[in-house]
Amino acid sequence: MAAKDSPLKQFEIDPISNIELGGYNISFTNSSFAMLITVLVITLFLTLTVNTRSIIPSRLQLISELMYNFIAQLLSDTVGDNGKRYFPFVFSLFMFVLIGNMVGMVPYQFTFTSHIIVTFALAAVVFIGVTILGFINHGIKFFTFFYIPGVPFYMHPLLIPIEVISYLSRPISLSVRLFANMLAGHTLLKVFAGFVVSMPFFTGVFPLAFIVALTGLEILIAFLQAYVFAILTCLYINDAYHLH
Amino acid sequence: MPQLNPEFFVSQLFWLAVFFTFLFVFLWRVSLPRIATVLEKRQNKIDENLSSAKELQEQAMEIEKKINDQINKAKLETDEKIKETINALQENVSSQLSSLDKDLEKKVSDAEKEILKSKDDQMKNINNEIVNITKLTVGKITDIELSDNELNKVIETQKGSFN
Repeated sequence: MAAKDSPLKQFEIDPISNIELGGYNISFTNSSFAMLITVLVITLFLTLTVNTRSIIPSRLQLISELMYNFIAQLLSDTVGDNGKRYFPFVFSLFMFVLIGNMVGMVPYQFTFTSHIIVTFALAAVVFIGVTILGFINHGIKFFTFFYIPGVPFYMHPLLIPIEVISYLSRPISLSVRLFANMLAGHTLLKVFAGFVVSMPFFTGVFPLAFIVALTGLEILIAFLQAYVFAILTCLYINDAYHLH
Repeated sequence: MPQLNPEFFVSQLFWLAVFFTFLFVFLWRVSLPRIATVLEKRQNKIDENLSSAKELQEQAMEIEKKINDQINKAKLETDEKIKETINALQENVSSQLSSLDKDLEKKVSDAEKEILKSKDDQMKNINNEIVNITKLTVGKITDIELSDNELNKVIETQKGSFN
């Protein structure tokens, strides 16, 4: 357990209500609460802003449409026509990570995307789904994915293991990227927040100014990481369709 | 590091599964179809407007063509009218000119005739005067009475050498 003023204290999970199911602790925690807020924000926003279904959109409706078009464009650019059926999944993933990151930017709010178990679970869903998709599309031929054509034959004993390892490390890189970014950003904010309090006289305004700038950067990173998560998912789906 | 504490792993996974599944199903079944409907409706409206604009443009072009045709026709008609009028005027002028020429010619020939006539008359008078003067002069100088006929004969013969 972290000490009282540790910058990592913000990542501690506090149960709000203790629930146990079949011997497992499935307590509703501050992390679950943040997820609930995230899901509520997404569903309410996307439902209420498009409620009027007006042809000339209001500003809020336009935001929903922009997000829709953004992911639709991303998916059609990377996967093409095959990608349309994965649109709801990629869109949910993008919105969940994006709003999860944004909810984490609210002071005193928990950031569930800074927990490796959450990001790993999301990445694992993508990884397993894409692998199953690859086998459905190509059957046993999917293994030729690890075989790079146009390379001298004596390189294959080296390259095939590398390809396999890089494929298997996809969920790890995908999850650790998001987790580490969120962890580092929030830790840094907390460290500088500590400086604001502990520095003498008015010198605390300097770290405060830094926090303001860093908050802007963190919001950018929150968006960027959600985008990266979504685009990598799209690329993996594309790989399941088009082998080398 | 609280992230590596497995105490709440199951809880996190459970609630993640619950909330993410709910989000996925909700977006898939409710939100995204709604947005898709709106976008489709807008695209339809835009297509409709574009096609009607195209139609109107075609109509406008047709009307313009008709107007141009009519203008061309009117121009041709006007040109024809102008040509006709010019021709008619030219004919009129040339006929008037020729009648004027005729008049003038007639007048000139009349005048010539008159001049000739008066010349003859004057010549006759001159002859008479010459006869009279000669008669008087000869009478005064020689007391010879010359008849008019004789004098005229002489004058006629002399006239040839004068001319």
